[in-house]
Amino acid sequence: MLDGVEILTTSGIVLWRRHYAPIPRSVVNSLVADVFIEDRRLQTGDTQQPPTSYRKDKYTLKWTRAKDVGLVFVAVYQSLLHLSWVDTLLTAVKTLFLKEYAPELAKPHLTKLDPARFDPTFDALVRKLDTGSTRRPSVPDSEGPGELTPPSSSASATEEAVDEPPPPPPPQPLFRKPTAPASQRDDTSTDATPVPTPDTSRPSTPASHLLTAKSGPGKASRRARKAQQSFGNSSAPASSGDESATGRAQAGKTGTAKAKRRWDADGFAVEGEEEVLDYSTAGATPSQADNAAGQREAADVPAVDSAQMGTRTPKGHFILKDLDDDISALLANPPHQQNHPPTQTTPSDPTLLTTATTKLTSLFQNILGNKSLTATDLRLPLAQMRTHLLAKNVAREAADRLCAAVEEDLLNRKTASFTTVDATLRQAMSSALTKILTPSSSLDLLRDVTATTTTTTGAGARPRPYVISIVGVNGVGKSTNLSKLAYFLLQNGFRVLVVAGDTFRAGAVEQLRVHVGNLSALARRGGGGSISLFERGYGKDAAAVAREAVGFAAGGTTTTANAGGGAGGVGLLFDVVLIDTAGRRHNDARLMGSLAKFSQWAHPDKVFMVGEALVGTDSVAQARNFAKEFVDGTGRLRNNGIGMDGFIISKCDTVGDMVGTLVSMVHATGIPVVFLGVGQHYGDLRGLNVGWAVERLMR
Amino acid sequence: MATSSPWLTWAFSPTISAILVTLVISLLLPVLVHSYLYRKATAQALPAFLLIGPSGAGKTSLLTLFANGTPSPTHTSQETQTATCQLPSSALASTDRYRSVNDHTHDQPQLLLIDTPGHGKLRHHALASLTPATALKGLIFVVDSAAVSSAAGLTETAEYLHDVLLVLQKKHTQSRTSKGSQGIAVLVAVNKQDLFTSLPVGLVRQRLEEEVARVRLTRSKGLLVDSGVGLTDDGEADDESNWLGQYGSKEFKFGHMEEYGVEIEVVGGNVKGEGEEKGRVDGWWGWIGENL
Repeated sequence: MLDGVEILTTSGIVLWRRHYAPIPRSVVNSLVADVFIEDRRLQTGDTQQPPTSYRKDKYTLKWTRAKDVGLVFVAVYQSLLHLSWVDTLLTAVKTLFLKEYAPELAKPHLTKLDPARFDPTFDALVRKLDTGSTRRPSVPDSEGPGELTPPSSSASATEEAVDEPPPPPPPQPLFRKPTAPASQRDDTSTDATPVPTPDTSRPSTPASHLLTAKSGPGKASRRARKAQQSFGNSSAPASSGDESATGRAQAGKTGTAKAKRRWDADGFAVEGEEEVLDYSTAGATPSQADNAAGQREAADVPAVDSAQMGTRTPKGHFILKDLDDDISALLANPPHQQNHPPTQTTPSDPTLLTTATTKLTSLFQNILGNKSLTATDLRLPLAQMRTHLLAKNVAREAADRLCAAVEEDLLNRKTASFTTVDATLRQAMSSALTKILTPSSSLDLLRDVTATTTTTTGAGARPRPYVISIVGVNGVGKSTNLSKLAYFLLQNGFRVLVVAGDTFRAGAVEQLRVHVGNLSALARRGGGGSISLFERGYGKDAAAVAREAVGFAAGGTTTTANAGGGAGGVGLLFDVVLIDTAGRRHNDARLMGSLAKFSQWAHPDKVFMVGEALVGTDSVAQARNFAKEFVDGTGRLRNNGIGMDGFIISKCDTVGDMVGTLVSMVHATGIPVVFLGVGQHYGDLRGLNVGWAVERLMR
Repeated sequence: MATSSPWLTWAFSPTISAILVTLVISLLLPVLVHSYLYRKATAQALPAFLLIGPSGAGKTSLLTLFANGTPSPTHTSQETQTATCQLPSSALASTDRYRSVNDHTHDQPQLLLIDTPGHGKLRHHALASLTPATALKGLIFVVDSAAVSSAAGLTETAEYLHDVLLVLQKKHTQSRTSKGSQGIAVLVAVNKQDLFTSLPVGLVRQRLEEEVARVRLTRSKGLLVDSGVGLTDDGEADDESNWLGQYGSKEFKFGHMEEYGVEIEVVGGNVKGEGEEKGRVDGWWGWIGENL
């Protein structure tokens, strides 16, 4: 019971779509963002193989791509169902679509296609594949030209096209309707699918909320509309939209004996029926005008000779002619099997002359460019590139994945003129590295701190201190980088509280005390901030110390801090709280488990993990194990399911060119690198310049 | 010499046939070479406009509206897309401003629109298209006027706008050729004016200016992003070159950018109308016409 299929270009334009139920735009948008652009693997759990399905809210999405023409084919269905035929459907849709629109797709600058040519093909495909009893009539999308299907008809696909054309949809306020439960839409289902609860949550940004596709009037079945109203969004505009929907359906159905019942906002049936809210048709009364228009236009529709298009089977099914042969051939022999034989044929027994000429031509083509890249062309340069990356201290897993991505990208492309295969490969690898290292949204720490500590309206009700915590394995430089961060914040005039959350290691608290002393001396010389240390000695629970410290910084009264300083004015005592934690091995479950409790008690705004640039392949495992520990109260990973907020890569001055750890850690988790530690003094902290890093890696 | 080949002697001798052959070769050879080199007629480069902006602002929808006349449904872009459009009859191109109104003999000019992805990881496409000195006549920065009403949306838009304007400023001040220091026209297209939560154009302009001022302040006070500075001594980062607009000023106004040849205009409109209404994009077409 598919919810919809969409075909879109890589530049985002939807070329063709078919919706059986209203699908919010954010679903496909998040598929594009999470899987294609950011390439997040965390949801599938399996990090080696490419993911084949994506889940978002209560939808599951499957997709396939046609790389050479830049198309993506997406199928959406409810997660509770398990549809096994979706993969076959997508492959068949891809092949047939490419065949049907081959001339248009060959042209550059494609922005629009005529969608109607593909509709019958698709309907035939679905009919063939969807053998379950859970089929439903298609709900045309509200943003298209709008085919109107009379609500409770289970008309076959070919008859839809010759139905009466729709009256123009009324202007409707752009409010999102709750999606109707799937089972109510289906008339003939015998599956015992549980009713999913309707999604009436209010999305956070008003803009996205208002722009989601509206389910058009009169296009849902009557039962579904009733369901929408009874689930009572209670907002008046939604119900007024439904009212006009019923008015629309009433006008659309010509010659039905029963009059439609309409419901108002309170759930009562409206008896007097003259009040139709749609004024868009110019005419005497809306219902009369629509009836007349419907009848007039029904007469205008040209007759269709059904025998040309297909045949009737003995059972009475009307099957389209050519398509059936195409489709059965396609389904019997899937294209991926057909592709295998050609690649396996190798030229047998080449003579000396042919090898010499092919070598010469390939050499010339290599220099001159415009060469179509095959797998054999790329094999050797890719192997060299992989070795190069490994020599730069990139983890093997990351190097393999990068090379696989670049190969997939370059296969069957033509090189530009006067560029060799090597140069093309380097260019592709540089852009892949840039894409991995560039963060989706850049971190502006000063802005965030200022916003949190001064805001009195909006999301945060009262100003509170900004909490940053630093985690990592033993000996990577957490305390040193924390002091560098404190120095940076002091130079910008903030009041900093350093919390000695490392209650285990000998000398940890004393080390921080020395740092705080140095920094307060530096702050006195210039800068305008103030710094203090909060410590509770050794042996205490780090989460408890952290919670106490945050409470103290927010202006708590009972506890006292050591080493006086920074008593602010009203409200907050400190602007920023920096929490140091104990180093822990990432494969020690007990120690890692205490991090979850720490994040739930301390509620850090930012969690930075420190990794040293010298670490080798262990970096991937470290990053992953740390990232999955940070769950909030509901068990979801904080920060939108990512876990941590950034990496600080320390000791970058000791590695020279071999900065591959950056790539390994970002590849493993998708978390961006925010700072680099470039020395052992307080001022040796830098932001990440992606161009510099990529240039170092490709050198 | 007697043993040299006879045709060489003949070629250098003053016979009529030799002269004729020389004439034919010397006249035909350049013609042949020219026709070989120019066998594909070089297309006249259309004036190009770049569509740029944060994710979800409506750039791809705008592209489909301008190219096809009606906006198509779109999703997040992953790649750049170009399309040729024709100026509608309602807009007047600046090249035609001296024509009479009754003159219908000419076609409206065509232009090339380049749409870039707005997602954070893919912004290098856009910024890379800015730097080469192609026939880029103008830049259209699309802003979602409803997202700007929230703090997060405003920050993202302002950061991107700041980066774009800084790239333009650097191109102007640091270019070594006179072609690179030509000005470019920027249109801040305030989209989605039909939404209930959208802000009016004047308010969007004011908020953007304030936020860009704040962004440039924190950028200047932030950490050096030149990672190479600590490791190698490649030179010092110049504070002044990274400061947008007038150095040291507290506020930022779009007018400050005129000194770098960047003329910014803020015009509102909407690509998709409510229900059956068409979008109002006349202001944007007018700007494009002026800068064609």
